[in-house]
Amino acid sequence: MLQELTDWLSRTDLSALLSDTTHLETWLIIPLSQTIHILSVAVVMISIGVLNLRLLGVGNSKQTFGRLTTQLTPWIWSALVILFVTGVLQTLAEPSRELLNSTFQLKMALLVIAVAITISYRVTTTKNPNYWDVTADRRRMARFLASTSLVLWLCILSAGRLIAYFGAFES
Amino acid sequence: MGIVDLFQWMNDTSLAESIRDSVWLFPMFETIHVAAIVLVVGSIARLDLRLAGLVARNRPVTEVQNEMLPWTWASFVVATVFGLLLFVSKPMVYLSMAFFDVKMILILLAGLNMLTFQHMTFRSVGRWDRDPLPPVAVRLAGGLSLAFWISVVVCGRFIGFV
Repeated sequence: MLQELTDWLSRTDLSALLSDTTHLETWLIIPLSQTIHILSVAVVMISIGVLNLRLLGVGNSKQTFGRLTTQLTPWIWSALVILFVTGVLQTLAEPSRELLNSTFQLKMALLVIAVAITISYRVTTTKNPNYWDVTADRRRMARFLASTSLVLWLCILSAGRLIAYFGAFES
Repeated sequence: MGIVDLFQWMNDTSLAESIRDSVWLFPMFETIHVAAIVLVVGSIARLDLRLAGLVARNRPVTEVQNEMLPWTWASFVVATVFGLLLFVSKPMVYLSMAFFDVKMILILLAGLNMLTFQHMTFRSVGRWDRDPLPPVAVRLAGGLSLAFWISVVVCGRFIGFV
C-alpha cells in the first residue's frame, strides 16, 4: 500500500516541481524547508525540555506546571504544525526516501507516542494546574512520563537525521 | 608549517581516516552535532525572545537567562567538539565551501554580540529586569542574536547540501 502511494506521489506535478534541481527557485525550496524544520525542532525541544525538567523536579518551580504548560503549548503546537507542513513538503519531493524508509517509519511511530504524552500534559492540568504535584504516585508517574518524553524526542530528532543514512528499502 | 599543512595533517590522522571509513561514525557524530545545535539555538532563542519582550513577560529576564544559558553553553561545547570531529574527517572539503566560512563568521558575530550585551547593555539590568518590554538596546541585542543563530542554522544545512 505504501509502495502504491509512493509511486502515485512520485508521478504528481507537485513532486516534480519540488524535486526540480535545474532551477534555482525550485532547488531552494527543500533546503529552506529543512532549515525551517530544524528551527521548529529547536522550539519543540526547548519547550518540551522546560516542561519535562519541571516534572522531574529540576528547574524553575515558581510557576505551577499548569501555568508553564499554558504558556508553552501555543509554541509547541505552532512548531508541530510547521514541522508537519515542512515534513509533508519534503516527503512530496522525494516520496520513497521517506515513506519506504524504516528509520522514517520508526520516527513517525515514536512521534505518535511523544505527541500523546504532550497532549496529556495539557489535558490533565486544564482544571488542576498542580495535577502532577498532589500525590506521591502522581509525582512518580510525572517523572516517568517526563523521562520517557525526553528520550522519545531525542530519538525522534536522531531518527530524523539518520533517515539520510539508514533504513532505505532494499528492493 | 602553514595553516594548510595543519589541515592536511588533520586530514591524514587515523582518527580522520576512521571517521571516513566507518559507516556509522560520521552519521552518529553529525546527529549529536545537530542535537547540540538544536539545544543551543532553542535555548538562546527563548532568552532572545524574552529580551525582545515576546515570551515569559511575567518573569524577570535574569530568571530566564539563568534557566537557559547553562544549556546554551553546555550544548555549544558539545556542538563544537562534534563539529570538530566532522571537520577533521574532510577539512579541505569544508574549507572550500563558502557556506562553511560564512557559518564560522556568523558564530563569531553572535559571540561578539553576546559579549557586547554582557559587558555594556546588561550592566543596567536592575532597572529593566522585570519589565515585560526591555529597553531598545536590549531588544536589539536579542533580535540580532536570533538573526545570527538562525543564519548559522541555514548555513549549516546548506553545507550538508552542496
